[in-house]
Amino acid sequence: MSETVSLQAAPAPVPDTRSPFPYEGPQELRRPIAEALQRVVDPEVAMSIVDVGLVYGVTVAQGRIHLLLTMTSVACPVADVIVDDVESELDRIAPPDLQIQVELVWEPPWTPARMSERAKIFMGW
Amino acid sequence: MQSMLAAGARPRRTVTPAPLLLLAGLMLVTGIAGGLYRLGIAPAAVAATDWLGRAALAHAALMIGAFLGTVIGIERAVAVKLPAAWLAPIASALGGACLLLGQAYAGAWLGVAAAALFAAVNVVVVRRQPAVHTALLWLASVAWLGGNLLFATGAASEAVLPWWFGFLVVTIAAERAEMTRLMRRRPAAHPLLFGVLAVMYAGAAASGFAPRLGGLLYGLSLTALACWFFAFDIARRTVATNGLPRYMAVCLLAGYLWLAIGGIGWALTALGWPLRDTALHALGLGFVFSMMMAHAPVILPAVARIKIEFGRFFYVPLAALHASLLLRLAAGWFDAALRSMGAVLNAASIALFAVTLVGAAIAWHIQHDAPTVQDILHG
Repeated sequence: MSETVSLQAAPAPVPDTRSPFPYEGPQELRRPIAEALQRVVDPEVAMSIVDVGLVYGVTVAQGRIHLLLTMTSVACPVADVIVDDVESELDRIAPPDLQIQVELVWEPPWTPARMSERAKIFMGW
Repeated sequence: MQSMLAAGARPRRTVTPAPLLLLAGLMLVTGIAGGLYRLGIAPAAVAATDWLGRAALAHAALMIGAFLGTVIGIERAVAVKLPAAWLAPIASALGGACLLLGQAYAGAWLGVAAAALFAAVNVVVVRRQPAVHTALLWLASVAWLGGNLLFATGAASEAVLPWWFGFLVVTIAAERAEMTRLMRRRPAAHPLLFGVLAVMYAGAAASGFAPRLGGLLYGLSLTALACWFFAFDIARRTVATNGLPRYMAVCLLAGYLWLAIGGIGWALTALGWPLRDTALHALGLGFVFSMMMAHAPVILPAVARIKIEFGRFFYVPLAALHASLLLRLAAGWFDAALRSMGAVLNAASIALFAVTLVGAAIAWHIQHDAPTVQDILHG
C-alpha cells in the first residue's frame, strides 16, 4: 500500500461487533479485515475465530497485515489449518502489495472472557 | 499477493509422512479383516494366509493401538511440532506391523515404547498449558501405557482392554472437557468428571484381579461419562447449527448414546451376561468410530494437508455405521447370522466413509482448482 499507515492509538474503541479485537491501521481496511476474519469458522464450535476470541489483534503497517492469533488448546492439531484459512480470507480482501503475517501466540492464554457477546449467547451464558 | 512468514513467527507446518499414514491405514484394514475373520467371515483368497490369523488374534491391538494409537499420536505430533513426538506414532504403527508379521514380542514391546513416548509428549503438552484437559490427555496416555505393559507381559484381555479403551475414552473426554470451557462453568462439572474417571481407573485396575467388581465399576463409569457428556458437552448447542458443525454434533451425540449402552453392556458382561460383543463394539464402533467420523473432516486437512469439501453425503456412512451396529447388537442377540451381517456392514460403513473422504477431497479440488470462465477466456 502506498498510503501512510496510521499507527497512533485508536482514540476510543469503536463498538463494532464485527471487529472485537484491537486494530491499528487504515480505517478503510478495518471493516474488510474484520469481515474476512469473521468468515474463518472453527467447525468444532460452529463459531468464527473472532467470536471465540482467538484474534488478539491486527496491525496494518509497513506494507503488511500482522495478525496475532491464539488457540484454545496447545494440543489442537488444526491450528495450521485455521492459520491457512485466515491467510486465504485476508488474501481475498487485502490490497495486492500488502503482505500477510499470521503469528500464533500462547500468551496471554485464551479464556472464555474473550468470547463475544454473540458467542456467549449461543453457548447459553 | 504473497503471504509472508517472518522467521520465528510461526513454526513450520507439519506434514505427516505418507508412509506413516499408509501404515496406519493398513493397520485399520488388517484390524477389520482380523475382526471379521474372528466371526468366521473371510474371503476364500485370504482365509488361508498366516497374517489373517494373526490379525484375528491381535484385532484389538491393531484397532486400538496400531491404528487409533498411531492416528492420535500423529495428531499430537502435528500439534506440538516436536520432531521427537513422531517417534510415538512410528513405534505404534511398526508395533502393529510386527504383530501381523508374527513378531509378537517385538510388536508388544514396540507398543510399550510408543505409549511411553506418547506419555512423554503429553508431559510437554501439560507443561506448555497446565490445564484440566491437558492433564487428562496425559492420564489417557498413561492408561495406554498400562494396557500395553499388561499386553506385553501376557495379561488376560479382561485386564488389558479396560486400559486400552480408557486411553481412547479419556482422550475424547479431555478434548470434550476443553470444549466445555466455551459454556458457562457449572461448578459441579469438573468434580463430577474427575469422580467418574477415578471410578473408571479404579475399575480398570481392579479388572486384573477382581474382574467382576472391576468390570462393574468400569461399565458404570462409562455410562456415567455418557451422562456427563449429555449434560455438559457443547454438542447439544452446535447440533442446532448447520453444515459441518451440525454433522459433528450428530456424530458426537449418537456416540454418547452408544457409550452409555457400551457401559451397561460392560457392567452386565462382568456379571455374567453374554454381552461382550455389545460392550466392546458399542464402545469401539458406536462411540470411538463415531468420534472419528466426526473429526476426520477437520483432522485430515490438519495431518495430511488434504482439503475436504463437506457435504450432506457424510451422513450416509454415519447412518450406515449406526444402523449396522444396531443390527449387529440388537438383532444379533437373537440370530448369529444377523450379527455377522451387522459386522460385515460395520466394515462396509467404514469403507464407505473412506470413499466419502476421497470423494470430498476430489470435490474440494474441483470446487477450488477448476478454471473459471474468466480464466479460460483470458488464457
